[in-house]
Amino acid sequence: MSTLLQAADEHAALEALHARGCTDGLPVIIPTAPRVSRMVLASGMDADMVLGTMGPAGGVATVQQVAVAAVMAGCLPDYMPVVIAAVKAVIDPVFDLTEMQSTTHCTAPLIIVNGPARHNCGPIASGFGALGPGFRANASIGRALRLTMINIGGARPGESDMALLGHPGKFTYCLAEDEENSPFTPLHVALGFAAEDSVVTVIGAEAPHSVIFSGNADDPLNHEHLLELLAIGLTNLATNNAILGNGAATVVLNPEHASILAGAGLDRQQVAEKLYALCVHSTAEMARLVPGFARASSSSTTRHSFQSPADILILMAGGSGIYSMVMPSWCAGAHRNSPSSVKVEADQFCELPGLSATTGKPT
Amino acid sequence: MALVTTDYWPQGDFVANSLGMPGVPRVKLPHPVAGSGVANMRSIARQVLPAIIQALAGETPNAALQDS
Repeated sequence: MSTLLQAADEHAALEALHARGCTDGLPVIIPTAPRVSRMVLASGMDADMVLGTMGPAGGVATVQQVAVAAVMAGCLPDYMPVVIAAVKAVIDPVFDLTEMQSTTHCTAPLIIVNGPARHNCGPIASGFGALGPGFRANASIGRALRLTMINIGGARPGESDMALLGHPGKFTYCLAEDEENSPFTPLHVALGFAAEDSVVTVIGAEAPHSVIFSGNADDPLNHEHLLELLAIGLTNLATNNAILGNGAATVVLNPEHASILAGAGLDRQQVAEKLYALCVHSTAEMARLVPGFARASSSSTTRHSFQSPADILILMAGGSGIYSMVMPSWCAGAHRNSPSSVKVEADQFCELPGLSATTGKPT
Repeated sequence: MALVTTDYWPQGDFVANSLGMPGVPRVKLPHPVAGSGVANMRSIARQVLPAIIQALAGETPNAALQDS
């Protein structure tokens, strides 16, 4: 159940929310009862419907409380099915939310959206600058998830969220896959969903690390060089994945790089297999640099950074050019930084045409 | 019984309260312990051992906080 606070006006309400630690530090839309009700209505679900509990505080996430976060974040009602799915995804025990929120690592939930919801519940950007400013759905959906993690999950910096520094993706971290232009099968199809499904996949991720590669079509090893660079960026020896030897991590190929790999005859699975094979390190080097974490190895002189190719999530997004992005991960927790995918239940969504999300007044 | 370093003491309180065990015995260690060298870690262990035993015995739950 939500607590209804009183304030003289919107300015006072905002300051009260800041003072209570209920914001992410930025101004929020005041979650008045009518605004929250509209957001709940848009979800097509009962306000009291329980989605699960969120650690480390163990708060109970109801549809109404998620709607509060969505209002505060600036979401349109259209976004609610994606926000609900993202919350369900992090609540899934496989995501290790409590541990993820409590770790000293900088990890943040990266939301990847596939399927028709990219258009119907957005649009959620997948092209130039999709992880940057300028896209309301991307910005507010990721922010809504973060606000649930703060206000339901109880994450407070230095008290329960022990990230030593964090990263800007802890404000918002959401994009869609550019399925229409990708030469590969969409991520959600590779994960076992139907192409017509809308799916939210959430994975704990570091900030994006840029990987530069300027292709050379005359070089028969063009794609191999790209794969080598992606592997270097994905699990350099300073990453948890390399040192702990597990976890799942993310590769966001830009269209040019995806085209190079596809042009070499590689499909998504083969790209993952090649990256898996390249993400290896010398056990002696690990023992030299990080003896405290380098596990005793048998006779092997090398160790893979991942346990299988399936641990490398690959999607295509962004503008076309020379930079792709890789996101190494925390990879601790009982489930070792597993991604969590949830189908978006858009069939229950109640469209509210012609009304402002923030005022409830006709626009 | 939990060993918690000074920098993480608030988190210990938060977790204990969240789990409904606000009185779970905790003993405070200096920060950092990890990576501070074997000799220092042995020294810290010697200092906090009495508090750990007291906490395990339930004699001074959550009061035997050793500020090293």
